[in-house]
Amino acid sequence: MSNSIAKLLALDKISNFFNIIRQNGGIRASMYKLYRQDELKDGTLVGEDQFGNKYYENPRYFYSRNRWVEYSDNFNMNYDGSQVPAEWFGWLHYKTDLPPHKDPNRPKYKWMIEFTENMSGTTGQYVPYSTTRPKIEPWVPKPKSSV
Amino acid sequence: MQVVKALGASAPTVFSVIKKGGFAPMVDIIRQTHLPAPNPKERRPYSPFQDTSNMAEYAVARLDDLLNWGRKGSMWPMTFGLACCAVEMMHIAAPRYDMDRYGVVFRASPRQSDVMIVAGTLTNKMAPALRKVYDQMPDPRWVISMGSCANGGGYYHYSYSVVRGCDRIVPVDIYVPGCPPTAEALLYGVLQLQKKVKRMKTIQVWYRK
Amino acid sequence: MLRQPLSRALALSPSKVAPLAARKFADQVQAQPDKVEVFINDKPVYVPPGTTVLQAAAQVGVEIPRFCYHERLAVAGNCRMCLVEVEKSPKPVAACAMPVMKGMRVKTDSDLTKKAREGVMEFLLVNHPLDCPICDQGGECDLQDQSMAFGSDKSRFTDIHFSGKRAVEDKDVGPLIKTIMTRCIHCTRCIRFASEVAGIDDFGTTGRGTDMQVGTYVEKMFLSELSGNIIDLCPVGALTSKPYSFAARPWETRRIDSVDVLDPLGSNIVVTTRTNEVLRILPRTNEEINEEWLSDKSRFACDGLKRQRLVTPMLADSRGNLTPVEWEDAVVAAARALRDCPPGKLLAVAGDFADAESLVALKDLFNHLGSENVCTEQYFPLEGSGTDLRSSYLLNTKIANVEDADFVLLIGTNVRFEAPLLNARIRKAFVQKETDVALVGPKVDLTYDYTHVGDSASIVKDLATGTSSHEVMKRLENAKRPVVILGADQLKTPEGAALLAYTQELSLRLQDKLVDKEWKVLNVLQRTASQAAALDAGYRPGLGAQLQAGPKVVYLLGADSGLVTRDALPKDCVVIYQGHHGDAGAAIADIVLPGAAYTEKRATYVNAEGRAQQTLPAVTPPGKAREDWKIIRALSEVVGVRLPYDSLDELRERLAAVSPTLVAYGDVQDNNYFAQARALAQSLQKPVSGKLDVQLKQLEDYFMTDSISRASPTMAKCVQAVLKQKQSPY
Repeated sequence: MSNSIAKLLALDKISNFFNIIRQNGGIRASMYKLYRQDELKDGTLVGEDQFGNKYYENPRYFYSRNRWVEYSDNFNMNYDGSQVPAEWFGWLHYKTDLPPHKDPNRPKYKWMIEFTENMSGTTGQYVPYSTTRPKIEPWVPKPKSSV
Repeated sequence: MQVVKALGASAPTVFSVIKKGGFAPMVDIIRQTHLPAPNPKERRPYSPFQDTSNMAEYAVARLDDLLNWGRKGSMWPMTFGLACCAVEMMHIAAPRYDMDRYGVVFRASPRQSDVMIVAGTLTNKMAPALRKVYDQMPDPRWVISMGSCANGGGYYHYSYSVVRGCDRIVPVDIYVPGCPPTAEALLYGVLQLQKKVKRMKTIQVWYRK
Repeated sequence: MLRQPLSRALALSPSKVAPLAARKFADQVQAQPDKVEVFINDKPVYVPPGTTVLQAAAQVGVEIPRFCYHERLAVAGNCRMCLVEVEKSPKPVAACAMPVMKGMRVKTDSDLTKKAREGVMEFLLVNHPLDCPICDQGGECDLQDQSMAFGSDKSRFTDIHFSGKRAVEDKDVGPLIKTIMTRCIHCTRCIRFASEVAGIDDFGTTGRGTDMQVGTYVEKMFLSELSGNIIDLCPVGALTSKPYSFAARPWETRRIDSVDVLDPLGSNIVVTTRTNEVLRILPRTNEEINEEWLSDKSRFACDGLKRQRLVTPMLADSRGNLTPVEWEDAVVAAARALRDCPPGKLLAVAGDFADAESLVALKDLFNHLGSENVCTEQYFPLEGSGTDLRSSYLLNTKIANVEDADFVLLIGTNVRFEAPLLNARIRKAFVQKETDVALVGPKVDLTYDYTHVGDSASIVKDLATGTSSHEVMKRLENAKRPVVILGADQLKTPEGAALLAYTQELSLRLQDKLVDKEWKVLNVLQRTASQAAALDAGYRPGLGAQLQAGPKVVYLLGADSGLVTRDALPKDCVVIYQGHHGDAGAAIADIVLPGAAYTEKRATYVNAEGRAQQTLPAVTPPGKAREDWKIIRALSEVVGVRLPYDSLDELRERLAAVSPTLVAYGDVQDNNYFAQARALAQSLQKPVSGKLDVQLKQLEDYFMTDSISRASPTMAKCVQAVLKQKQSPY
């Protein structure tokens, strides 16, 4: 009953506001998060991936905004969507409700390579190369000495 | 690339073949213009320009940071909706993806826009118009090629009337794959372009000259 | 197959039949009879009697369809496609074989004519496979075009389920020509070309009616240096190019007019390219040089342009191995070598494919550096008038005029392989005009009969002094239009100067007696496409003396003949090679500057008759290769002696200043000063005793002679095929 009165007076919003600030670590920390993410939410920490990204959930928000990621501080302002590993991508996009670390059906085989973020614009980027035979065969000089 | 390098250790022939086929010079170019591959364990600084050797260079690098921040925060795209991709392009303007929050606002005039999104099949007939619009854009300007058709002709690659990739007409900065790419993909492309803009060395180049 | 003149058929010596002079003059003096009036579609046209209906129609612009008829071959009249209605004739007549008659009225688009054509087309298509989608001739097929234009719109061919169409086994005629004999429509153009132009009687037909087959009777390679032309001649896809098979369609290719440089004649060619790749080379009609033929090396060696190419500048590292570097490094290294060298120790050598622009630019550069040591690989005697008078090193008669000759004396040259199309001209004269040919030199197969005088150099001396008792002497003296062709290869021997002097003496003696004062007798046949331009530009021919002097820096401009070797040079000599193929020259170089091949640049070449022609860029030079004159221009700037031209036009102005003939494109000037050359050569007439020898004796020698053809896999296959054919009993 008291809940509904509080709701009627929009007092729960106020309590949520303070709750959010408290959860995010005070006013300064909240301001920093706002600067970094343009958004301040409260939620339960579901898990953390190998890069240090934290995944949160709060069913109070409407569907499609009730799961989110807070990128690791290492990424600083250079975070982008490709830094979410594939297994967490599924959880984030509601393909599964089981977070990857609680999912028993995720075997890790030897042939699986490490997840990498999008390397475009860095020296690590993928560069396509032609597999067709070159039109011109260049002359390769014979080595004069094998030393 | 990582894979190729990994392969290179076990199969040197593969790597040497790749190197022979004019691949090596391309790698050189990339080394010169691209950032080093990031290490996920290290904290990344805001600015890509870290290797300044004296005060003047430092100042100029910070000026560039400021300029790039301004540029990437208000990229106004020139719409060039040519086909079905244009519908996806409309989506990023709508509330769900809401491109306005990145300072991306569609302009209907090339003279007021910074980036052109080529969305759809570029036909031979449209090509001169595209180039003309590109030429009318003020510098600095960028081009996002959206979808398979704009990237390389796509489904219509073998058509008699289609340009096999809009990079034959204008210099493209970002290629967004997909047929059509989702609005999410295009938005990601815009963000990639922002990253690219962040690396621009306008004042530093001027200073070095 | 070939209808020979009666005299030759009866194996009579021409002198027994009638004096050549009388025959020749009979042709000319005989008054032209009145022209005949005929009507083509009621349009009057006046033509000389003996003209065929087809030719008369062509004069008023009426094209009559044909398959077997070809302007340069004998009339066969067996395809029947050219049937036309002639008034008062009960049946349609074959226009290609029918001479006009006075008042003839020809109807080329009457109902009867159309019906006749439709009928012929239908008969041809009864046995012609409909495999156009996989046929290499598709798009340039006469049968395709003419069935569209003149064929019927419906077919009555229903037999396909029973016996099917005629099928013929394919023949193997070598690595150049692919045969799909089922497509053959028996026009016999290839047979006529082989026997008339190429002089190979291997082709013929067997069987008759449905069983008729065109082929070589026994399995045999088409042993000719002109074999590629039957691909062009074939109106259907029966004979197609093997190296080009399934490569491209004609409508997707770009065609660029250019000039061939693989032999000294400078045949006109069309370079067919697609996506920056030379696909094939076709002849371009030029009546004064190559008519519409092209030799096999010029046509098929183009795949050599894609192999063994120099695509990046290279520098020798500390171990002497060439390693790829940037242009800047290579040019700076070359410039340093040139600058630090005393001018007397510099040497430039121009090779086979050097164009006039780079020749002049290189000579300018060397002259600026204070050196005069610019030479060519081919030797030419400098005694007497040397290279000062153009007449002593060119084909003065001109290629086209050889047809009009009545006696051809070849001295120490195998024209067939040194200049195949000149040989085709001589053969044309031999077949059609009863020209006689005599040869001093080794006995070789020239595809026609000739009088072999011997291979001793003293014969030339005897002929020149008039002391020879050989029958050739008498015939030479009686000839009204003699031609003497001296192979430039003979001049590199120590007796070369004397031989040239005697040849000049002989030619001039003959020329003085001629009634036709315009006729030139003396010809020197160069071996390479660059030699004439190099001599025009003032290069010193040959490099023996210069090599002896021990040069410190050698600049090879495409010199690949292997005349410059490491052993002949001092140990510390720097060799700079500029060219487009990694061959003998690049192998010994310390600095390699990649240049452009003839399909990749706009450049001037002067052919053996002194005609300047230009190539046009068909593709871009591969990799970091650049146009040759630009390399030299860039180099000059780094050396510190900037050459005063920045564009090709400015360079061509310089060319014109060096020699106006270098930029007079398409023209060839008459050469004079024969008498002066003769006077200067008088003192050189020393006794000679050597034997004349030629480099290219057999067909297998012909295919691989220069850096492009040596790199060509097709040419290698040709050599192997010819050698294999030698083993065969046929």
